[in-house]
Amino acid sequence: MLTILRYFLMRNRGQILGWGLGLAIYGAFLLGFYDTFAGQKEELISLFKNYPPELMAFFGGEGLLDMFSPSGFINLEFFSYMTIIIGIFSVLTGSGLLAGDEENGNLDLLLAYPISRSVFFWGRMFGFILATVAIVLLAWLGFVILEPGTTLNLTPIELLHPFISLFGLLMLFGALAVLLSLLLPSRRQSAMLSGLLLIGSYFLTSLQNINKDLEPFARFSPNNYYQGGLAIDGMNWEWFAGLAGFAVLFILLAWWKFERRDIRVAGEGSWYIPGLSRSKRAPQPDAGSTD
Amino acid sequence: MNENLAIYTQGLKKSYGKVRALRGVDLSVQKGEIFGFLGPNGAGKTTTIRCMLDLIRPNGGTIRVLGLDPQAEPVAVRARVGYLPGELHIDPNFTVEGSFRFFNQLRGGKADWDFVQQIAGRIDLDMKMPIKNLSKGNKQKVGIVQALMRHPELLLLDEPTFGLDPLMQQEVLRMVVEARAQGATVFFSSHILSEVQAISDRVGIIRLGRVVEVAQIAELIQRAVRRTHVRFKEPVDISFLASIKGVKILSQDDGQSVTLQVEGEMDSLIKQLASFPVSDLETERPSLEEIFMAYYEISHSEL
Repeated sequence: MLTILRYFLMRNRGQILGWGLGLAIYGAFLLGFYDTFAGQKEELISLFKNYPPELMAFFGGEGLLDMFSPSGFINLEFFSYMTIIIGIFSVLTGSGLLAGDEENGNLDLLLAYPISRSVFFWGRMFGFILATVAIVLLAWLGFVILEPGTTLNLTPIELLHPFISLFGLLMLFGALAVLLSLLLPSRRQSAMLSGLLLIGSYFLTSLQNINKDLEPFARFSPNNYYQGGLAIDGMNWEWFAGLAGFAVLFILLAWWKFERRDIRVAGEGSWYIPGLSRSKRAPQPDAGSTD
Repeated sequence: MNENLAIYTQGLKKSYGKVRALRGVDLSVQKGEIFGFLGPNGAGKTTTIRCMLDLIRPNGGTIRVLGLDPQAEPVAVRARVGYLPGELHIDPNFTVEGSFRFFNQLRGGKADWDFVQQIAGRIDLDMKMPIKNLSKGNKQKVGIVQALMRHPELLLLDEPTFGLDPLMQQEVLRMVVEARAQGATVFFSSHILSEVQAISDRVGIIRLGRVVEVAQIAELIQRAVRRTHVRFKEPVDISFLASIKGVKILSQDDGQSVTLQVEGEMDSLIKQLASFPVSDLETERPSLEEIFMAYYEISHSEL
């Protein structure tokens, strides 16, 4: 498993460093603005009060005025949309975690070596989890390093909480993308559907502030249980456990599926729906092979 | 199951939706032999090989590789098998040497690097080259070396010479023969009949998901239908020829010449012809290609 894990991390080291350092620099840059921002509190509050109520509601309603607190500022300026930004990494890496190598034909040779499918699956999965942890920790380090130079007065542990909340949401969508890549005919479809759910969840949670009728639906949105920067004021571990629990469930289902499925030679697969598919459109035995 | 069998399948079936890729494959490959596996595209060669490695799961039948059930003990099977896929893909970010080191780690290390460098050198493979810069043929060489590098007991090679130039094809075939000489069993699929004929002890022909023939090549040729031209010194009534078992009249020219198709032994025909004034008798053996084409041809009733 260590060989598979090392191989995954080595192959993705550029992404890990790119995302992690990028977010760290961006976060550090934002923190540097807090003191200036907080100093203009009165002017900005009067400006916000002139915003259309719909726009105010979309950005958190009266909660927008919390943005002058350290947690509110960090939440609004960084964590509120970070689910979409870094979510792209989760969804793309998750959808390609197994199906990527399968579609480009690598898996056919790798799984002909004396490693079980379970070992391969968990090697990759732990690699994915470690990569996500590394990105989140690098970003956190950016905050921790610059925080002493601001008036935020936050401890490293307090700053860690929103990153834990972010990690929970990223793992949920990443695990969903892995599972969908094993259920849908291609990794592209998995990435597309997971991405749609990620964005849909973001908008549903945001729009419930405008339209209260959406609240019953938003309860099913994972973003609803993502605290973001507000976790600085108190981590809701139940919400985190819920996100992590669904991530674990999706991972276990993906493992179960990977153990039982046929490995494709190369190229995308297709669906066969009994009674609907015509024989000439049924999956080919060795699509992409020479046989 | 016979302990001397490296591969044994009985009634092996595999379907993909409505497509029946394998319809009951029966095969027995002896330990230490080179077995050529032939068949037209889509016949089920790759599917059969991939079932042996548990890359795909059959819907029915029995399969044993080196006495083991690949579905029950996939890791134990793969530990003793070297595999070259028909569609070879290796992570392009590796160098050639890096890919070998990675594959070696997947087998727990302990590769004989002198041997790896020796076989890579024999096929002019530059170990420092990045995989992404290699041509199709050179990638195939990487696939061959990774299959051979740990002296596996069984080599499963899907089109091993695909993409190689004729000189390299010969060198790879020599390596395969050497692997057998060192005790390995070789099961390989190919479309190149000359190489099959050159190194195989036996061949199996698969068509439409069933093995339709397993034999030595010499035996196949011996058994095949031959074409015979007979010229008589004077016109004769040749109707008697049609009554000889295994003989079919293909054409007759002027009552003096006749072309026959003869299946099986020539003995009956020669004895009957002996009572007529024969001026010339010529027999043509079909080429290997013709024999295989006869097996490959599919009648619509079989679909």
